Amino acid sequence: MEGEHTAMAAAAAASAAGARVFTASAAQGIVYMEEALWMPPGRRLPVVMCMVNRAIAPLGGLRPDHNDSLLQRDTGWIQLYCENSQEVLDTVVQAYRIAEDRRIYLPVAVCYEGYFVSATAIPTAAPDQGEVDDFLPPYKHELYSLYPEDYHRPPFPMNIAKARYEVQQAMERAKGVIEEVDEEYAKRFGRGYDGLIEEYACEDVEAVLITMGSMTGTARDVVDELRGEGKPIGLVKLRGFRPFPTEEFREMAMRYHVIGVVDRNTSFGSAGGGVVAMELARALYPLDDRPLLLNFHVGLGGSDVTINQIRYMAERVLEAYERGYVEKEVEWVELLDLGEVM
Amino acid sequence: METDRIFDEYYEKSLIQGGNLCCPGCGGPLFWRMALEALGPKTIVFGDGPCAMCAIRFLRVPTFGFHFSFVADGATGISAALEMKGRDDITVVSSGGDGAVGDISFNKVSAAAERNENLIQICVDNEAYMNTGIQKSGLTPFGAWTTTTPLGKESPKKNLPFIIAQHGVPYVATVSISHPADLKGKLRRAKEIRGFKYIHFVSPCPTGWRFHPSKTVEVARLSVETWIWPLYEIVDGTLRLTSKPKPKPVEEYLKLQGRFRNLSPDVIKLIQSNIDGKRERLLENDGERIVF
Repeated sequence: MEGEHTAMAAAAAASAAGARVFTASAAQGIVYMEEALWMPPGRRLPVVMCMVNRAIAPLGGLRPDHNDSLLQRDTGWIQLYCENSQEVLDTVVQAYRIAEDRRIYLPVAVCYEGYFVSATAIPTAAPDQGEVDDFLPPYKHELYSLYPEDYHRPPFPMNIAKARYEVQQAMERAKGVIEEVDEEYAKRFGRGYDGLIEEYACEDVEAVLITMGSMTGTARDVVDELRGEGKPIGLVKLRGFRPFPTEEFREMAMRYHVIGVVDRNTSFGSAGGGVVAMELARALYPLDDRPLLLNFHVGLGGSDVTINQIRYMAERVLEAYERGYVEKEVEWVELLDLGEVM
Repeated sequence: METDRIFDEYYEKSLIQGGNLCCPGCGGPLFWRMALEALGPKTIVFGDGPCAMCAIRFLRVPTFGFHFSFVADGATGISAALEMKGRDDITVVSSGGDGAVGDISFNKVSAAAERNENLIQICVDNEAYMNTGIQKSGLTPFGAWTTTTPLGKESPKKNLPFIIAQHGVPYVATVSISHPADLKGKLRRAKEIRGFKYIHFVSPCPTGWRFHPSKTVEVARLSVETWIWPLYEIVDGTLRLTSKPKPKPVEEYLKLQGRFRNLSPDVIKLIQSNIDGKRERLLENDGERIVF
């Protein structure tokens, strides 16, 4: 293939012709692919791809931030964010089960950070082929057949709003299916990721930090340290950004007084801060008793998210808890001199 | 009624449905009727947007499509899926208009040709973006009026069949609905060849070319007889002219169409001398290897 714009269109058409397909891209490639990215959800084709997050040019580079995949949040792709290579491998297998579920028929993007995850090595367990085959039965797309002897397609939607609404309904159903598939995967392979959202060290805490992707690993260590010091702060890893786990967050909001969102992305001129923070604010708005919300920009353009930075953010969250109000709604943590401790 | 019965019986056998969304006199449905008679029911057509889609929606073979920025891409995916499933009994056709094949998806078609994808790429060329309001494309001929070239197009038409041929693909051919036996023969031949096949069809367009819908076939025939649209095939790099009519003056073709209404006698003379030169070079190279 000569380019991503072609690769995604070919993948989508091959999926319609009954093949199980996979592709991957990063940064400029994902942006170049965008026109084609709208095809699989609209046509209900269960394509799976890896979106390897890298900073978009200009001023982009080899290293990651989340803007390239978050830019695709409205296309109708399910987006799952992974912390390390093991989770990537397991999530790709899960992704086909989710995408090809007849309740869903939506494409799935497995997102993980370029360089930190894509270009570094960790020991990774590969499941047995036979077990994967049992978990993933052969692909059979009931909506489509392009074969002359068995040709059928869904009727051409005369009502585009209805077709869009059906994608939205499938997204809502996907919340349950993602959890169900992850649970079954954990039972069979011994590794699970708590579906859309993972709460780490959150027993009896008053506040939490929300992270996405590889920085979660570092954040686990920092939170362990802080818990050891008796600080009431836990960690929430957001794995499923699309569909967005609104219900889980609403339930969580009753337990935690302060939420700090760590956004490895920007939305210039937004209502306030990064994409995840804005989504979360919308999810929590209807609640009578809302937690305080802080938002941090960090790791943009692929700079390291350091222990010092995570500790700084956690301290700001705890400070807001003690004072009962938020001093700074959005903070660009990288602009502060916090030393260079990884 | 007798005519209804004949109509019903005909379309029961035909691989296109009666009635479609094309303009009256459009060359597209005529082309598809003949093409599918040659290719048969075991054909999957991947198509693009506007004009081509109007005809493709009414084909009675499996069709699929995205926009005109994806010509050849989707067909590549379908062809790959068929290969994986061991289905070599199905012909994959990729269809695009002149704007798609020649401009927007030019790189896609070029890349698929270079990869020698196993599909038939068809260019249904009505020489402008007709469905969106008659805007000039890279394949609009010199001198033609369009809404974006109100004084006539200043640059020549891209010679797409020759450009594709230079990729070293196994088969390239030009066809016209005025020569049905030639058209069907070329599609039958393309169907038998493995690899990238390119068929270029200039489709007379009453709406954009400004002629009466009853004159479609007449205009198509004149384009061949004046050597404005010569019929040939390039098999493994060797050119063969499949029709060598006694040349008629280009004016006969031009004067039938409102889009050439404002051409001055000098410009018509220039077009004639260009066509004469082109004809001579084609005749010189008839039977010769032109791709090297």
